Amino acid sequence: MNGVLATMGRELRSYFWSPLGWVILTGFLFFQGISFQTIVDYLNDPRAPAALSPLGFFFGGTLFYWLTVLFVTPVLTMRLLSEERKTGTLEALLTTPITEGQVVLGKYLGALVFYIFLWTPTLAYVLLLARHTELDWGPVAASYLGTIAVGGLFLAVGTMVSGLTRNQVVAAIGTFAILFLLFIPAFLDGLINDPGLKKVVEYLNLFQHMDEFGKGIVDTRHLIYYLSATVFCLFVTSRALEANKGR
Amino acid sequence: MLEARNLTRRYGDFTAVRGISFTVQEGEILGILGPNGAGKTTTLRMLTGFLPPSEGDVQVAGHDLASAPLAARRQIGYLPENVAIYPEMRVEEYLRYRARLQGLSGGEARRSIAEVLDRCLIADVRRQLVGTLSKGYRQRVGLAAAILHKPRVVVLDEPTVGLDPKQIIAIRELIRELGQSHTILLSTHILPEVELLCDRVLIIDQGQIQDQGTPQSLRERWRGNSRIFLTLADDPAAAENAITALPGVVSLERDPTVQGRWILEGSRDVDLRAPLFHLAVERDWVLLELAEEKASLEDIFVRLTTQETTTSETTAAPDGSEATEVAS
Repeated sequence: MNGVLATMGRELRSYFWSPLGWVILTGFLFFQGISFQTIVDYLNDPRAPAALSPLGFFFGGTLFYWLTVLFVTPVLTMRLLSEERKTGTLEALLTTPITEGQVVLGKYLGALVFYIFLWTPTLAYVLLLARHTELDWGPVAASYLGTIAVGGLFLAVGTMVSGLTRNQVVAAIGTFAILFLLFIPAFLDGLINDPGLKKVVEYLNLFQHMDEFGKGIVDTRHLIYYLSATVFCLFVTSRALEANKGR
Repeated sequence: MLEARNLTRRYGDFTAVRGISFTVQEGEILGILGPNGAGKTTTLRMLTGFLPPSEGDVQVAGHDLASAPLAARRQIGYLPENVAIYPEMRVEEYLRYRARLQGLSGGEARRSIAEVLDRCLIADVRRQLVGTLSKGYRQRVGLAAAILHKPRVVVLDEPTVGLDPKQIIAIRELIRELGQSHTILLSTHILPEVELLCDRVLIIDQGQIQDQGTPQSLRERWRGNSRIFLTLADDPAAAENAITALPGVVSLERDPTVQGRWILEGSRDVDLRAPLFHLAVERDWVLLELAEEKASLEDIFVRLTTQETTTSETTAAPDGSEATEVAS
């Protein structure tokens, strides 16, 4: 446990100590700000369709949401393990009494905590809305939960790819490619007629997951999907690290 | 304290280390000497648990590295060859992080950090970013991190490489001091270092132990013919014949740069200095210089390692791109 906390702490600190963390934070908030403002503008227009919730829109309702998450997560995870391998710090790390699993978990949690930190300023939007309108807090909480679940999986994929290469650029692009694959079921949704296959595709449809979270529906099947895929990626990372740490 | 049995590491078809076995006794400073690419780093990586061996096993203070890796690693302090430390961390911060990785409690960590800052003479840079430190300081920070948890065995991979002469002396002094309280395994390709620091030496090349022993015993065993420098005043004409006639003289030649100076080669079991003195007294020559050149470990090393290269070149051509270099 000590080892997990130590690596997590170091990882977190390195986000805050390096310009990269602040660049990500700035860019992230800039785009979320634009997104929020556009949504509010759109919904304030009397011609806007009724029964749309601004927060449902904000979380997963637009490409803004998906693109930022899709870009931010590979950048957050690209250096986690590849940099250690490239600079050689991995050697000093893995010869201390700490397991590969602890290293992977610690680094992943570091990235996850920073990811959550990225989202915390958006609470300001929620509070802003709450001042002017009745807010249903259930869907808000579910949206944040969904965002953390989706981001958690993306970061786990990124950690895995980062563990397989010593090149950060390769790690980022590889992660991006795999994450893109995760979206394919969502694109296929309208193109499939076979009812059995359609069920599978629906189960994997990220857009629909977020849509439901946005409505306040916390479906455990979705949570299990994210959690199990996350655990799987981290497990693969830890085994891969164990198998080729000395290379 | 540290025992390696039949350690072997293969990278594809290339065998970097083949069947190395040795033991480091408690309190001993053992040097591993070998040219670049001999398999030193690969061996040390297997000993510290960073690289799983293809064959063989390692015991650290009674713990098997393969079956009880954490217990074994707790007893080892390792300074890797390239001393990579996160450049964005401050020295003290890095040591605190290492202390947590080693599982030291808060109080223990504070005491240990204060102690190693002092011992490794880095207290003055404790607040500095690691990335801004000179190589010598970084090496000392790495060493401090390696001994933080009071390991029983300290493994140092080329600890003085890339340092300036002053820094080298400082690090060596530090290692010698550490040797009084720790078991140390040290790899190097620098011969004087071994002669200065080590109780015992393993010479490895081509991934195998070529010879081992104390520096003195190695010198004794591998001593070749002696070389003697002799200078006589006025360069007596009869000298050449008289000296060649002495038993045990293999060859004699003039030193072309100094008038009256001779370089003798004598067979290895005869000390020619006494007969030469008596000869000079007998013939009434004035002896200006009489000195024997000691075979250095360097000669032995060169002899052992070049001999190996020539024999192995005929049998198998090893991969030129040395695996340990690629890995680092």
